[in-house]
Amino acid sequence: MRNPGRMEKLPFFPFARSLRLLMPAFPAPPCPEDAPVCLSFHEGTLRLRGLRPRAVQRIFGEAGEPQVAGKAEQADDGPEWVFDDRDDCFRTDAVHYRQVVARLHAGLASGFRDEVPQWTAIDLTLRRESPQALQLRPDQLQATEAWVAGGRQGVIVMPTGTGKTVVAIELMIRAGTSTLVVAPIRDLMYQWHQRLLSATGIDAGIIGDGVHRVSPISVTTYDSAAIHGPRLGNRFGLIIFDEVHHLHGAWRTDAARMSAAPLRLGLTATPPADPERLQELRESVGPTVYSQAITAARGQTLADYRIKRIAVHLEAEMRDRYRSLAAHVQRFVADRRELDPKFRWEQIFKLTATDPEARRCLRAYRLKRRIEERASEKLRVLEDLFRLHAGEPVLVFVGSNAMARDVSMRFLIPCLLSHCGKRERADLLSGLAKGRYPALVANRVLDEGVDLPAVNVAIVIGGSASSRQATQRLGRVLRKGRGDEAILYEVVTADTAEVQRSRTRRRTAAFKKSDTAKRC
Amino acid sequence: MLTSAQCIVEYDFARRLAVPDRLSRKRDERYLRAAARLLAIYRRGVGSPRGELHRRVGRVLEAFDDCPPRRVAAFCKLLDDASSFASAGRSAAELRRRVFSLAADRHPLVTRPEGIFESTLEQAHREIAAELGRSWQEIEANLFADVIELQRLQAFDSDWQPAELLAAYNVAQTQALLYRAVRMTVTASEDMKTILRHAKLAGLMHEIRRLEDGRYWFIFDGPASALRNTSRYGVRFARMIPKLLSCQGWQLQATIAGPRNQFLEFRLSPDDRLRSPLAAPEPFDSTLEAEIVERWHAATPDGWRLERESEILHRGQQVFTPDFVLRREGDDSPIYVELVGYWTPEYLDEKRNQLQQFASHRWILIVTKSNSKFTERAQLPTLQLTGTFKPTELVELATTYYASRTLER
Repeated sequence: MRNPGRMEKLPFFPFARSLRLLMPAFPAPPCPEDAPVCLSFHEGTLRLRGLRPRAVQRIFGEAGEPQVAGKAEQADDGPEWVFDDRDDCFRTDAVHYRQVVARLHAGLASGFRDEVPQWTAIDLTLRRESPQALQLRPDQLQATEAWVAGGRQGVIVMPTGTGKTVVAIELMIRAGTSTLVVAPIRDLMYQWHQRLLSATGIDAGIIGDGVHRVSPISVTTYDSAAIHGPRLGNRFGLIIFDEVHHLHGAWRTDAARMSAAPLRLGLTATPPADPERLQELRESVGPTVYSQAITAARGQTLADYRIKRIAVHLEAEMRDRYRSLAAHVQRFVADRRELDPKFRWEQIFKLTATDPEARRCLRAYRLKRRIEERASEKLRVLEDLFRLHAGEPVLVFVGSNAMARDVSMRFLIPCLLSHCGKRERADLLSGLAKGRYPALVANRVLDEGVDLPAVNVAIVIGGSASSRQATQRLGRVLRKGRGDEAILYEVVTADTAEVQRSRTRRRTAAFKKSDTAKRC
Repeated sequence: MLTSAQCIVEYDFARRLAVPDRLSRKRDERYLRAAARLLAIYRRGVGSPRGELHRRVGRVLEAFDDCPPRRVAAFCKLLDDASSFASAGRSAAELRRRVFSLAADRHPLVTRPEGIFESTLEQAHREIAAELGRSWQEIEANLFADVIELQRLQAFDSDWQPAELLAAYNVAQTQALLYRAVRMTVTASEDMKTILRHAKLAGLMHEIRRLEDGRYWFIFDGPASALRNTSRYGVRFARMIPKLLSCQGWQLQATIAGPRNQFLEFRLSPDDRLRSPLAAPEPFDSTLEAEIVERWHAATPDGWRLERESEILHRGQQVFTPDFVLRREGDDSPIYVELVGYWTPEYLDEKRNQLQQFASHRWILIVTKSNSKFTERAQLPTLQLTGTFKPTELVELATTYYASRTLER
């Protein structure tokens, strides 16, 4: 924010031109070149030199004191400085940069040297011919205003398909500073690159997937951001975490902790429910500043949909094999529960390290799942559905790469898997949208937010019952198509565990809260 | 290197120790025989897809009741790393584009032609094959040739013997354990310069202490370690292991972040007999250094000692290891002797900066003739070598320059 005046030119939505929006994130009094106190960035940490411990304590409060439980609201009381005698400096996480600067300005009459910011003012404008919506919808505008009002550090919660990317690009333009966009997976990183290119004409830098091209506007993945945090943390004034619920765990949190960006934005459709994880997000990005429920979006921006479940039966021979494998698994679990009544299935993965019985059981379990998932009957059902919806674009979701290739080879339709390069992926997605390809089969690559062309027919085969996956998958089917009703088929194997999983899936919020969903 | 998904560690909570998986040639003799079979699978497997090779490896090892899936995966990774696989990135994607585009008009491909749906899969195969001028079998074999598990083995380049494969496995498991390390300390009596150089290359921060017995204690970690226990530098520790294994006279102790927020210890030393894949460090940096040692031994002046790289000078994160330390009996403060050979101007600038950092010590430079310009600017007592190195000349120079200070004591 070295040049806050820059921002005035930018908001393209006239309504947003309120004075508050144009205030810089924090006032920046001049920093004397020769001040003895120096704040710098060192491998993802802030390094403070030239202050005695007592002065640090005076300015920052009781540094090093553990936070008192229940005081969470004021958890940003002050960064904890640790004296690092290896380097003769005080050190703290870069995430505290904005606070540190505010405190130093308030507490040091003599000023200080701030060597941290390596970010620059960026003049971003929307391309005139941009296919992006030129006007924000009222809910998108509300979201942007809420973030600005919230001090420009915070999380925006909007359902999949409601244009979070548009909101983020608007905020990037208003911020007018070097920006790093962090996406969960490479596909989404490339998608961001594409969206930025078409919206602003900027060829953003790419950090990840074997590419290391850092530029003032860059896109990356959570893992790359964590790996390169020590070198990138002071190069961006705004950091955007897409699908921010992934910002979790010691390693990934480093992506946020090592960034000094004073402006921070998180986007998600599914914020974590766990208060501890919410607190984690509050510390690394900011509080939730805007939240829109999926039910609010339905009807306006999302299509109505219904769900149809189709059960297939296994052939006699397969069924016998399936039952014997299932019995094997059941026997093992029963034996285990005799030893330990609290035994849970997930514990088997640990047991395989030492117990050959567990290994055999897990192998039986995987074979059983394979029979469920890859039952040839399912391909027959798929054939019928393709006939039924001939002429309409159809998306098929499957639970494994092998099944995706099975489907692909049986119907000679493209499959979208993790090995697909950037160009092929773009070709497939646009091909489905333009009708060059009649259908597409995808594995979990598409689980989150990857832009799909609007379709009205989706078919789920296999897959797990986690509620997040189901919501996000639905979200894509729900993208408003041509005004017709969307339909989601679930093809499950009858009399197998899959039926149970499908029930779980139907129970999750996205299905239950719907008034319009018709059960068949 | 392995990934952490292939790493096997045993935690001994009673003794608070972390022990990496290890296969011994004697105790695990079956694995030695299995290793021979695994090597044969890869050596004879040229042309087979990766997934198939892994299945074959799995079949050999799954026969052992004590072989967990991670060990199977680790062997596959080691063998893969020594192999090269054909990757048909662009051409497979292009083939897919053509095949699926040709098939698009015929969608949906049905089992039995009826009414408006008249294209069967077999028909589509025939027609597409004809269109592309290749047999369908060939098309099918190449359609997904870029999928990792379908990539075909091109060459297996290693000349590993079965025992060497086990040795590589043991080193790899030790490295993988260190991914979870939050701190690594090394106690060293030899090869300190090599150890420090590799720590620096790995981008680690150090703390150095000299022990009473003259050994050095290095603590390695990174900037964020001052704020919390973090294993983010673990991969850098792991990278140092092969180099450390090639050195002598060290002990390693690492703090491992184990399950349930517990910290455990891992110890390693040359006594563990892990075999380094690298050669031992060159004993001498230059022939001049070797020559000096040789001549000093041949004619050691009475009452003097010349030790090679036995001390480390450090200030914060700056480290300097003088080539020699010259000691006189009864004199506690050493004289550091640094060789300046034929080098680039950048090297000389760097050396001068380093020497200035530690200017408060007593120095003698030994320079070859061509570097006289350097010594003029360094302003330190200098032994200019014109012919061979003579120990007496070095001692004379030391006495002339530093005798007065010695007498003051």
